[in-house]
Amino acid sequence: MPTPRPSPVPESLMRAVARAFLPPAELERAARLHYDDAGHGYDTLGLHPDWVAAGLGMFRFLYERYFRVESHGSEHLPRRGPAILVSNHSGTLPLDGAMIYLDVQRHTEPPRVPRPIVDRFVPLLPFAGLFFARTGATPGTRENLRFLLEAGELVLIFPEGTPGVGKRFSQRYQLQGWRVGHAETAIAHRVPIVPVAVIGAEEQWPQIGRLPIRLLGAPYVPVPATPLPLPVRYHIHYGAPIHLEYAPEDATRPEIVQRAADQTRAAVEALIARGLRERRGIFR
Amino acid sequence: MSAPRGVLLTGATTPFGRTLARAILAEPALGPVLAVGAEPTGVGMPTDPRLTYQRVDITRPRDLQTLLGGPARDLGIESVVHGAWHRRAADSGRKIRLLNVDSTRELLRLAEGHPTIRHFVFRSYADVYRIDAEEPVLLAEEHALRLAEGMPQIERDRLEADVTVCMHMGMSRLSIAVLRFAELLAPDSGSQLFDYLSSRVCLRPVGFDPMLSLLTLEDAAAATVAALRGRARARPDRVAERPEREHHEAHHTGIFNVVGHDVLPLSRAVDLAQRVCVPLPGPLLRPLYGLRARALRAEFRYELNALRFHLSGVLDGRRARDVLGYEPRVPIDWELVARQVRAAR
Repeated sequence: MPTPRPSPVPESLMRAVARAFLPPAELERAARLHYDDAGHGYDTLGLHPDWVAAGLGMFRFLYERYFRVESHGSEHLPRRGPAILVSNHSGTLPLDGAMIYLDVQRHTEPPRVPRPIVDRFVPLLPFAGLFFARTGATPGTRENLRFLLEAGELVLIFPEGTPGVGKRFSQRYQLQGWRVGHAETAIAHRVPIVPVAVIGAEEQWPQIGRLPIRLLGAPYVPVPATPLPLPVRYHIHYGAPIHLEYAPEDATRPEIVQRAADQTRAAVEALIARGLRERRGIFR
Repeated sequence: MSAPRGVLLTGATTPFGRTLARAILAEPALGPVLAVGAEPTGVGMPTDPRLTYQRVDITRPRDLQTLLGGPARDLGIESVVHGAWHRRAADSGRKIRLLNVDSTRELLRLAEGHPTIRHFVFRSYADVYRIDAEEPVLLAEEHALRLAEGMPQIERDRLEADVTVCMHMGMSRLSIAVLRFAELLAPDSGSQLFDYLSSRVCLRPVGFDPMLSLLTLEDAAAATVAALRGRARARPDRVAERPEREHHEAHHTGIFNVVGHDVLPLSRAVDLAQRVCVPLPGPLLRPLYGLRARALRAEFRYELNALRFHLSGVLDGRRARDVLGYEPRVPIDWELVARQVRAAR
C-alpha cells in the first residue's frame, strides 16, 4: 500500500493562514465548500479549497472591520446550479470583487464561492495570478465560461472591466463601457443573471492620476490620493435573477445580445440608485 | 457476426505501441495486428498468433509500399494507427523529419489507394496547441495552434504532421481520426516532463504553478481502441450502394483530445514524483536547464516548456467522451513514476 504523501508546502501554508485568520465556525463553513475535485484536490482550472479558505481569512478583516460590509437581498443568490453575477466595478484596486466573494460565501447555504472572471493579463502576474487561479478566478474566455457554467458554478463578471476599476471620482456610480459577453453567455447557456450593486467601493480610493506604465501586464499604474483606501462602508445589493427569455441560438444575434445586456445594465443601475438612496452616508 | 478488423500499427516497439497492441488483441472486434517497428525483433510485444511483427524503415517509401502492398494486403488490414515518432527532443535533421512528417504523408497517400484500408488513426500531441494568456485554460480541439518563429524541430514536425493529416479530412476516402494526447508520463515515450522529473531537484518559475494534464499508457491505448472500434458496423447492402459514405459512418472521424485521469499543478507532480521543487525567477531557468542539457545530454528543453510552466493548459476531453465514449480510467501510479525517474538518471 503506497504511503499517502502529505500536501505540498503551499497548501499546508494556506491551511495555516486559514486557521490563523478564520474562527472555527468560518473554518467549518469553508470546509463545506463544494467544488469539482479533478483528482488531486484541485479543480480543472486550479481552484484549491485550502487557498479559498486562506483567501477568506486574509480578507476577513477588510470585510468585517474595515469596510464593514452589509449585505442586502442575498436570498436572490441561487443555492445551487449555474448563474452569472453581474456587478459594477470600481475602487482603484478591485477589492469589490473580494468583498462580493466573501459576501456570497457567507450568505449561501451550502456555502458557495463565485468564480470571478478576470482580465487576461492576470495569469501573467507572478504570485497574484497564482492566488487568483487557486481561489477560483479565471480569464474570461468562452471555453472557460462554458466549463464553469456546465459545472454548475456561480460566475462573477464585471462588464465594465478594467476601465471600471480605474474610473475617476467624478465618474462614480456611472457605469463605464458595458461589455455584452455576459449576456451572450447567459443566452447561450440558458442561465440566469443576478444583478449586483456594490455601494461604497466607488468612493474608497480616489485617484489623482494614472501613470501610463504597463507593469506586469496591467494597463496602467494608478496614483491614489490617499496612501490607503478610505474605510467607507460597503453595501452589497443583490437583485432578483433575470431569466433571459431567448433561445440559445439567439446568442449569435448581436441586436438581441445588446438588448439583453441593456436589460442587465438597467437592473444594476436601478440597484445602484436604490443603494445610494438607502445608505446614510459614505462611512455609515 | 463480422470478422475482426485488421490493424496496422506503426511505432509498435515504443511503450505506447506495445500497450496498444495488447489492448487491440483484447478487443474482440479488432485483430489481426500487423505491428511495425524499427527494431529487428518485436521485443516486449505480446505473444499472440494474431500478431505479426515486421521490421520496416518507414522513412523509405519503397519499404512502406512493400509493407502495404504485401502483408497489409494479405492480412486484409482495415485500419492504420500511425504512432511512429522520433522521441528525442534534442535531435534534429533531415532523417528525423522524414520519420515525423514525410512518412506520415506517404503512409496516408498509400492508404488512400489501398484496397482494404478504410480508416487512419493518427497519434498526435497536445503540444500543437498554443498556450497563451490570451487563450483559454481549457484546450478544445478548435484551440489556436502553436505557430512561432524559430520553433524547435520537434514542435514544428509535430504541428506539420498533425496539420497534414487534418488537411485530408473531408477530402479523403479514408475515415481519419487525429488523437491529440495529453502528455504521456512514461519512460522512453518522448515525455519532456518525465525527463524534467528525473532530476533530483526540479526548478520551476517562482510565482507560477500551472495546471497540467497527464495521461497513462493504458488510457492512451484505450482511447485509440475506442477510435478504432468505431460505431456499429455499416450494413453491407448500404456499403454496396454508397461505399464511401458508409465507411465514414462506420468509423470515427475528426480530431479528439485524449485527456488523462491526472489534472494537477506542476508543483504537485514534482512532489508526487518525490523530487524537490525549487522555485526560481523564470529568466534563470533557461540558462540553468541549458547547462543541464549540455552537461548531461538531458532531454528536457526549457524553451519547449517555458509557456506551459507559467500558464495552465488543460485538455478538454469532452468530444472524445461524447463521440468515442472514451473517459480516462487509469490514474498515474506515482510510486512507479518515482521509481522510474530515479532509475532514469
